[in-house]
Amino acid sequence: MPVVDVTVEVCGMAGDGTIAAGGLINEAMSDGGFSVLAFDSYPAEIRGFGRCVTRSRIGNEEIVALEDKTHVLISLNDEQARSRVPFLSENSMIFFDSNPAVYVREDKSLVSELDPEAILFGMPFNDIATASAGTTRGRNLTALGCFAAICGAPPDLFRAVIIRKFKSKGEKVLQTNLRSFDAGFDYALENFSNRIKSIFLISDKVGGPKKVLLSGNQAIGKAAIDAGLKLYFGYPITPATPIMEYLATHLPALGGRVIQMEDEIASIGAVLGSYYAGTRAMTATSGPGFALMTELITHGVMAEIPAVIINAQRGGPSTGLPTKTEQSDLHAAVFGGPGDSPRIVVAPSNVAECYHYTVKSFQLAEKYQTPVILLADFYLDNRVENLPMPEASESEKSGSNVLPENSLKGSYRRYEITESGISPRALPGMEGFIFSATGLEHTQTGVPDYSPENHMLMTEKRHRKITGALGDLPSPEEFSSGGKLDVGVIGWGSTFGSILEAVTTARNRGLLVGGLKITSIFPFHESVIRAFMNRCSEILIPELNYVGQLANLIGYIHSKDVVRLNRVTGTPFPPSAILEKIEYLVQVGNE
Amino acid sequence: MAQEHCVIIGNGPAANQAALTLRENSSDTRITIVGQEPFPHYRPHLLPEYIAGRLSQDDLCVNPPAFYKECGIKVRLGQRVVHVDFNKRELVLDHKEVISFGGLIIACGGKQRIPEHLQVFDDLMLTLKTPADAAQWIEQLSQVDSVLIVGGDLTSLSLTKALLSLEKRVIFMLNEDSFWPVPLCNELSEKIKHMLTERGVEVIKAGRIKRVTRVSDRSLEVETDNKTLRVGILGAFFGMTPNVKFLARSGLDIERGVLVDEYLQTRFDLVYAAGDCAQVYHPTIKDYWVSIGYQNAINLGKVAGLNLLGGMLSVDASPESIFFIDGIIVNTSWWTEF
Repeated sequence: MPVVDVTVEVCGMAGDGTIAAGGLINEAMSDGGFSVLAFDSYPAEIRGFGRCVTRSRIGNEEIVALEDKTHVLISLNDEQARSRVPFLSENSMIFFDSNPAVYVREDKSLVSELDPEAILFGMPFNDIATASAGTTRGRNLTALGCFAAICGAPPDLFRAVIIRKFKSKGEKVLQTNLRSFDAGFDYALENFSNRIKSIFLISDKVGGPKKVLLSGNQAIGKAAIDAGLKLYFGYPITPATPIMEYLATHLPALGGRVIQMEDEIASIGAVLGSYYAGTRAMTATSGPGFALMTELITHGVMAEIPAVIINAQRGGPSTGLPTKTEQSDLHAAVFGGPGDSPRIVVAPSNVAECYHYTVKSFQLAEKYQTPVILLADFYLDNRVENLPMPEASESEKSGSNVLPENSLKGSYRRYEITESGISPRALPGMEGFIFSATGLEHTQTGVPDYSPENHMLMTEKRHRKITGALGDLPSPEEFSSGGKLDVGVIGWGSTFGSILEAVTTARNRGLLVGGLKITSIFPFHESVIRAFMNRCSEILIPELNYVGQLANLIGYIHSKDVVRLNRVTGTPFPPSAILEKIEYLVQVGNE
Repeated sequence: MAQEHCVIIGNGPAANQAALTLRENSSDTRITIVGQEPFPHYRPHLLPEYIAGRLSQDDLCVNPPAFYKECGIKVRLGQRVVHVDFNKRELVLDHKEVISFGGLIIACGGKQRIPEHLQVFDDLMLTLKTPADAAQWIEQLSQVDSVLIVGGDLTSLSLTKALLSLEKRVIFMLNEDSFWPVPLCNELSEKIKHMLTERGVEVIKAGRIKRVTRVSDRSLEVETDNKTLRVGILGAFFGMTPNVKFLARSGLDIERGVLVDEYLQTRFDLVYAAGDCAQVYHPTIKDYWVSIGYQNAINLGKVAGLNLLGGMLSVDASPESIFFIDGIIVNTSWWTEF
């Protein structure tokens, strides 16, 4: 079985069915036994205003990042697809409409941009779709049919997905799409018979462990439900809205509620209120909404009320780049808000971790009575991976409130100073206990007190509590052969997939390189990070932000300046850029 | 002209030489080659060697794609020109793209000439002009032992040599007009037959092919005026004919090919034709001749390129030049080189 590792892009204008076509490819290839990692890029506007691109990396080995180069480009709009030409690999395959509605000038043509090595498959999408189904609406399916035929992908894989997707929309819609697909498939067989790839997209892993296609947002939504979420409060914002949509679909049937609030301040307020009353709640937002929440997040810190907050980062500042990815809210998540307000911040790096860290966030929030912020990002939220359906054990899902002993009735102190910093939390309704939600500095009993001694004491308590959470937070994960390394690459969030790909390639080339994944952003495992850094001549930290926010946070640990590699392009970090920097650092180190 | 967009239709030897000549003599001209085949410029006369396994596909390639990038020549492959509007100075590709040009060189080459009575068997015959054709030969040769060749142009003789080296049985039906447009005289024809026979080729006189039937995956039955043959492959080789049908309604003067004067200019300003697709006026004989062969195409491409930039070079139309084909003087000694 030949190694398959191919990146397929579908590019069109909003409204062309681009995202739908990409989704069908992902599902068909996943059903076909391949590993799939896919990411869509689309405009902030609803329709007709911008470019949509889906990128699907398909392989028969595990995939951790998107490829830099595209091997197959399916163009549903040539003018838009021109922008993808710089990303094409050598000998890429291009599927395009050879009979567009109007003549196209050279400076607007996709084909005019291509290198001569590109392999062209021009076919009249509109004509074929219309002839087969009486409408051009299925032209994206026609293009997929051609792609499936040329790449040797079994058409039944696609047909099954089309049936799954469109059956609920009625027989007419289903047949339109099936006919459009079949017509494209047949056209390709007839017209490109001498160029059909033999058994290109057939995996030997069909029938293996069942996998599902899941986006980061879906994983977060499912995890929240599995963790016993009862109330979701939110205000729509890209890229977090799909979490609310997922929960709105699934949570009510389980007895929970999804409530759209008037803004993000109200959302976090309601979450704190729910937790104050002892009910698991969550909100999800993005940078601008998170900024609005920060004051109340610190209220949760001060009042020691749990909260689970998903910050699906996007390009900023302000409303910024709603549909572009960035990792520039780390500072805001860790330090945002008034005063010394320690809170727990975690950052999953792939879809499976989105699930497990969300489940974990609920327990952490309850046990440490603090807001827990899960930092995702546009790329992580929207990318889909196929993986075994994630599940959490009963112990992972169970409640972790630290409740006061009955014997404390009458002498209970809500903010009692303890060794761990955790004070048992009484929930409203527990007879004989007092309840507090004050944002003012307070004594152990919750009485406002601004004295220097008390503020020192309570600030130290709150920090001690969060530092103590390290024991429940996953330690950084190292990817290396151990021993001394010329370059150690440290990363977080969605960028770590790109780092891992680059590090793996570098190691395969014989370089002494290792990777360290940090998912516990705050508090972080300083001693583990230090031990890794001490074994590395150079520390490289690639991040999708301008200044290097993780580098700012942990850089001091290294004995010399860490090397920052920062990008704010709005797109996922290309592994090749990291690999190039690794090789440069190794070379400089050897000179 | 230097600032204009010069487009060259075709990607054969004439087209490539024209492009390189333009670049050598005008560094800032925008140059685009539009080739119908998906292959980079290759040496077609070496295809038999490729079939014989003595050359790789890379060996056929004249220049790598990077060469053209370095030269600033845009090469567009697998793209077919379907119409040229000389008044608007635009050409249209088959995917409805419109390209404007200041200067144009038509060097779209030729296509296999199949006599009318054989065209009905098109699906059952192989020809040899492109690497795609060669790939078909290679694939089918792996399954058969014998080949029937009808015609007898230069390519067929080179291919026969390759087939013999592959230890295939070769049957040859030599046709007098196969070396079109150069006619074969009886004397030459007899000498070719003799040479082929000496090499172990079965040269037969069988009249016209009347019927071809596929008997199995590996076998064809070929019925002629006077015999029936069972062979693995049927190959047709009757020379080339200019490939200019797409220009039929463009306003160009076309006979067999595009009619050009001795400077290779068409009736339109800054529009030239070169190579196998051109019929070149010969001032001495006062008639048009059609170029054949690799070297002739290169010579014409160079003249077209220079004249498009303002030169006034006439083509070398001396017999010793135009009949010097692929290293062989056609009508004197080519067969002795076989």
